[in-house]
Amino acid sequence: MIWQIDLIVLALLVPCAMAAIALKDMMSAAITFGAYSFLMCLLWTEMGAVDVAFTEAAVGAGISTVLFIAAVHHSRRRVAKRRVGRIVFKLLGLSAAGAIGIILLWAASDFPEWASPDIPPSRHLSPYYITKTLEDTAVPNIVTSVLADYRGFDTMFETSVIFAAGMAVAMVLRRRRGREERTGRRVENGFARESPIIQTICRLLAPFMQLFALYVVAHGHHSPGGGFQGGVILGASFILLALAYDLDFVLKRLNEKWTLILANVGVLIYASIGALALLLGGNFLDYSVLSRILPATTPVMARSHGMLGVEIGVAITVMAIMVLIYANIASNGKYDKGL
Amino acid sequence: MILDTLTIVLLAAGFFFFFATTIGLLRFPGFYARMHAAGKGDTLSSLLMLAGLIVFNSHHFSVEALLVDLKIAFIMVFILMASPTATHAIIKAGYEAGLVQWQAEEEGKHDLAD
Repeated sequence: MIWQIDLIVLALLVPCAMAAIALKDMMSAAITFGAYSFLMCLLWTEMGAVDVAFTEAAVGAGISTVLFIAAVHHSRRRVAKRRVGRIVFKLLGLSAAGAIGIILLWAASDFPEWASPDIPPSRHLSPYYITKTLEDTAVPNIVTSVLADYRGFDTMFETSVIFAAGMAVAMVLRRRRGREERTGRRVENGFARESPIIQTICRLLAPFMQLFALYVVAHGHHSPGGGFQGGVILGASFILLALAYDLDFVLKRLNEKWTLILANVGVLIYASIGALALLLGGNFLDYSVLSRILPATTPVMARSHGMLGVEIGVAITVMAIMVLIYANIASNGKYDKGL
Repeated sequence: MILDTLTIVLLAAGFFFFFATTIGLLRFPGFYARMHAAGKGDTLSSLLMLAGLIVFNSHHFSVEALLVDLKIAFIMVFILMASPTATHAIIKAGYEAGLVQWQAEEEGKHDLAD
């Protein structure tokens, strides 16, 4: 904690947040929101929450900015002029919001100090994780073990939420009926987009991005990272190619059917590892009993390996859903050449 | 001692170029001139600062330090490739959107300055 850095970041963060809401041009708002996410990522790093910062950088500053821009392309760029309401209603709304704000601030004063050692989580929960994680699970990164083992049930449903979100986007936007309806047309945005420089560099960087993503997934036990971050980076490598070339280029390699299959497979891997533990006589998602079928593992190491399996499932789902959401938003559900 | 000096020199040079980039980005006239400052200065200063960090990190030679050095070197390669490409993409988009180059006074004064 260096409070000077906190102060500088917060001084930039608050105007960014306000600008992202207030801007009338949606494209500028999307970019400002990306800047906000990046500053948030710096703040998380400053607070020592490196895993969260990693996610924020990959999801908030990376993919969601691209998704916002793709969505803006398919809608109006400027906010419609709102009909001005009566001043009485405005004042009423303002006073209601202000009153709630004051009540919340008042309630916040009853909260304990940030990271205070007296609060119940710091007295019972955190010390247990900090002292026991390594002997329980042989995983040095406490965040990974809490996420994938101690609270594995939560993470399973987080993965399902991502899966459901992707399905919802596909169901709302998808308009593809058959082969004949594909127009094969790029979305008109006024530019001829092909540039050999951009395409070559993106093509060159994509395999390394994917390699790095696999490293993030596999190395999540020892360093910041894990299934979510790795999956998002994997998805981003496909989205980068889709931006540099066109959507067809990516869909030829990972078509819609496969994104759907992979999204299912990822959640299934997670749930079936849990069910396997159940079959072997343990609790659901209790990986330690997996040592009975994994050769040459102690129950402690089995928990570590179980986490790895679960993280791989998460990564597969997240990657497939990211590509699916991008393909739907960028082509407005038509699966033509996209942005 | 030599390593310390080298670190300071590299970081100071990186800081200088960052500063120049920022001034250029704010003060240059026109879109293309500003992007020119941002693209070149940003890449160079990031590379210099990361090189400074590598030197700083190799104070005590060990395998772990070497590993971190390698990772920073990979980041340098990434920046060297990605940053100029990003600048190129922005400038190309501006060119194709029909931004005219800034000229002193006579013609096309206003459409570039903001």
